[in-house]
Amino acid sequence: MDETAQRLLGSADRLSRDPETEIDWDAPVGDGYGLSPEWSTLYGTSYWDELSVDQRRELTRHESASVATTGIWFEMILQQLILRDIYDKPPRTAEFQWALTEIADECRHSIMFARATAKLVEPAYRPRLLARELGRMFKTVATGESAYAAILVAEEVLDVMQRDWMRDRRVAPLVRTVNHIHVVEESRHMVFAREETRERLASAGRGRRWVSALVIAIAADMIVSSMVSPQVYANVGLDVDRAVREARRNEHHRSLLRTSCANLMDFLGSVGLLTPAAARVYRRTGLL
Amino acid sequence: MTFAISGECCSDASCVAVCPMNSIHPSPGEAGFGTGVSLFIDPRTCIDCGACADICPVDAAKPADRSAAEDVSRNAAYFAGSDPLAAMDLDTWEPPEYQVWGGGPRRVLVVGAGPAGMYATRELLLRTDAEVTLVDRLAEVGGLVRFGVAPDHPQTKQIIDTFERITRHPRARWRPGTTAEELLGRGGFDAVVHAVGARRSRRLGIVGEDSACTAEDFVAWCNGRPGAVLPVELNGPRVVVVGNGNVALDVARLLVSDDERLRSMDVAAGVRRVLGASGIREVVLLGRRGPEDAAYTESALQELQAMSGGRVTLKYHATPVAWTGADRTPSADRAASGASGAGRGLLLDGGELISAGTLVTAIGFEGDPIDGLPFDSARGTVPNVRGAVVGRPGHYVAGWIKRGARGGIGVNKACAQETVQTLVSSSRGAVSPGS
Ligand SMILES: Cc1cc2nc3c(=O)[nH]c(=O)nc-3n(C[C@H](O)[C@H](O)[C@H](O)COP(=O)(O)OP(=O)(O)OC[C@H]3O[C@@H](n4cnc5c(N)ncnc54)[C@H](O)[C@@H]3O)c2cc1C
Ligand code: SF4
Ligand code: SF4
Repeated sequence: MDETAQRLLGSADRLSRDPETEIDWDAPVGDGYGLSPEWSTLYGTSYWDELSVDQRRELTRHESASVATTGIWFEMILQQLILRDIYDKPPRTAEFQWALTEIADECRHSIMFARATAKLVEPAYRPRLLARELGRMFKTVATGESAYAAILVAEEVLDVMQRDWMRDRRVAPLVRTVNHIHVVEESRHMVFAREETRERLASAGRGRRWVSALVIAIAADMIVSSMVSPQVYANVGLDVDRAVREARRNEHHRSLLRTSCANLMDFLGSVGLLTPAAARVYRRTGLL
Repeated sequence: MTFAISGECCSDASCVAVCPMNSIHPSPGEAGFGTGVSLFIDPRTCIDCGACADICPVDAAKPADRSAAEDVSRNAAYFAGSDPLAAMDLDTWEPPEYQVWGGGPRRVLVVGAGPAGMYATRELLLRTDAEVTLVDRLAEVGGLVRFGVAPDHPQTKQIIDTFERITRHPRARWRPGTTAEELLGRGGFDAVVHAVGARRSRRLGIVGEDSACTAEDFVAWCNGRPGAVLPVELNGPRVVVVGNGNVALDVARLLVSDDERLRSMDVAAGVRRVLGASGIREVVLLGRRGPEDAAYTESALQELQAMSGGRVTLKYHATPVAWTGADRTPSADRAASGASGAGRGLLLDGGELISAGTLVTAIGFEGDPIDGLPFDSARGTVPNVRGAVVGRPGHYVAGWIKRGARGGIGVNKACAQETVQTLVSSSRGAVSPGS
């Protein structure tokens, strides 16, 4: 573990990014999409076909802001999970120092997302109450592999979307840069989370593995289903019931999500966290 | 320090998709992808995040301080002639590509659980919500990775673990020990992907070839494929291997391995005994053309040279015309000595005789025709357009039976993805490029 942490610290040394100075926060956002249209929850539905180009662009900007808000929410959970985990670890170790580096990264990212969403759209988004309350509990009690694998799930799902958006010229330059900053630093975080998950599971018996697998799957469900708030549709002036209904049945979006989560699912399978019970949850969520 | 990719890389490009700095090339779609065996990391832009190593299914991407020095310099050399790509300029990245859903197939049969069949299954499970039935006539997944890839490359074989996980997907039905015919008769499939490979050895077409060993038989025997036997005796002190690809190099490496090396590999005791008793001291590798045309990869050659201690000789511009090595009949003896004046072995067109006790031919593989599908016997493949079998709607091909016997394990991933894309878009809207 210390070797990995040492390497990650070295990597952070080679390249850490400072959104404060790298992004011109005073520049106008322009009129690009908020995310790749194909990633819109309505893309491919009949509702999408009825929308004008302006409405579609507006919709993606709100969706992007909602997803970023979910990111902030989860980054706050994550900072607490890590802080609790290293609370009594020896500060001189690379693992300890890396953990704090990661918290610092997350802290900067949350500020960056917060500012970017404020520039992108007027209304502020928040994850729904149930997610917020479950998150509150999770960040207080989760430990070991449950904590780190849940971190990984959140990071990977976000990561794959952001890789698409940052490369997409139709997306607003601000969003592209913000996403790249996140992708670069998150790649180190995911390496760390995988390593921690593997290490914690090494000593886990079957019972604990089964419980952890289920907890992680439920956390994943909570994260994925919180990404785009129904409020988004209301704010863009759409029929919320219809939009929610069509989004929920949107096979295009589900297949994008499945493809994006393929590496994640493979990792969970390789460490024995894809138990039949967990797999059922992932299928329902649309990740498997 | 940076990371480096070793010769064990099967170029499935998993790492390309996770590198945050666009440091790994050639990526799919770029010139050079799928021709060599390995990908490379640009040390000028790599930031050591380790994401590539984490995702690599065969542990080919490693930190430079844990890689062989040759690997580090091979990686650097690949980029020597080009400017570093600025990852910060996001327009230097390939734009994303999307496939648009429009109702996929319900039930798909995939025939063959080699790399192509496994990647096709995975892609179908990801892109569609179809139920995928996967069959193989063998009892295990892996195809040539299990029964072809040399046993001294255990890292490469690790990809089998990934394949096995695919068979456990809730929408996958894995039927080992079954052939396509047994299931197809019953019908009920919207589409069939034939990924049956191409494992039959090409023939030299020379006198005496019947008493030579083909690469197919040799690797199957070494890897313990059920029912595989060595068709000839292995006789030293010299063996000729005809062929200039990585398979020929694999065979040569195994032939000159001493007992200690063999013990470190996952090979059956019987294989070890036969190799040990063969008295082989030397291997001559024969190429029809010059080293510049050789099909082996640089890293495979380096590996062979490093381990063989000068016991493997490479001979180029040589065309064999007759093999008299194993044939103990007086007439063959006379033919051989009449031609060259002495002994048994492999006769070349210039009249030279390489005396040898065993001949192994490793000049490539070709596919067998599939019942009910057209076949291009010159190329040994099923004629297809981006994976769709010509004139047989609902039938698709992937892997070596589609492209011919070329390319490493990972190349079958892009190949299978193309096939599944064709399959799925024949039942739905077109593919949309990102921007
Ligand atoms: C000796 C050798 C060594 C190699 N070493 C390497 C290496 O080190 N690294 C690398 O990257 N690549 C290597 N390759 C290349 C790699 O193995 C191929 O690219 C790959 O296996 C081709 O995949 P495939 O799925 O098309 O065929 P295969 O791997 O041949 O798989 C075909 C499968 O179909 C099954 N099948 C056939 N007919 C039927 C039927 N009628 N019904 C049911 N099942 C059927 C077979 O049993 C088999 O499992 C090597 C190849 C060979 C021959
Ligand atoms: S095997 Fe795949 S993941 Fe590993 S280095 Fe090669 S291309 Fe990258
Ligand atoms: S270590 Fe990170 S930056 Fe370097 S090649 Fe691997 S994934 Fe890319």
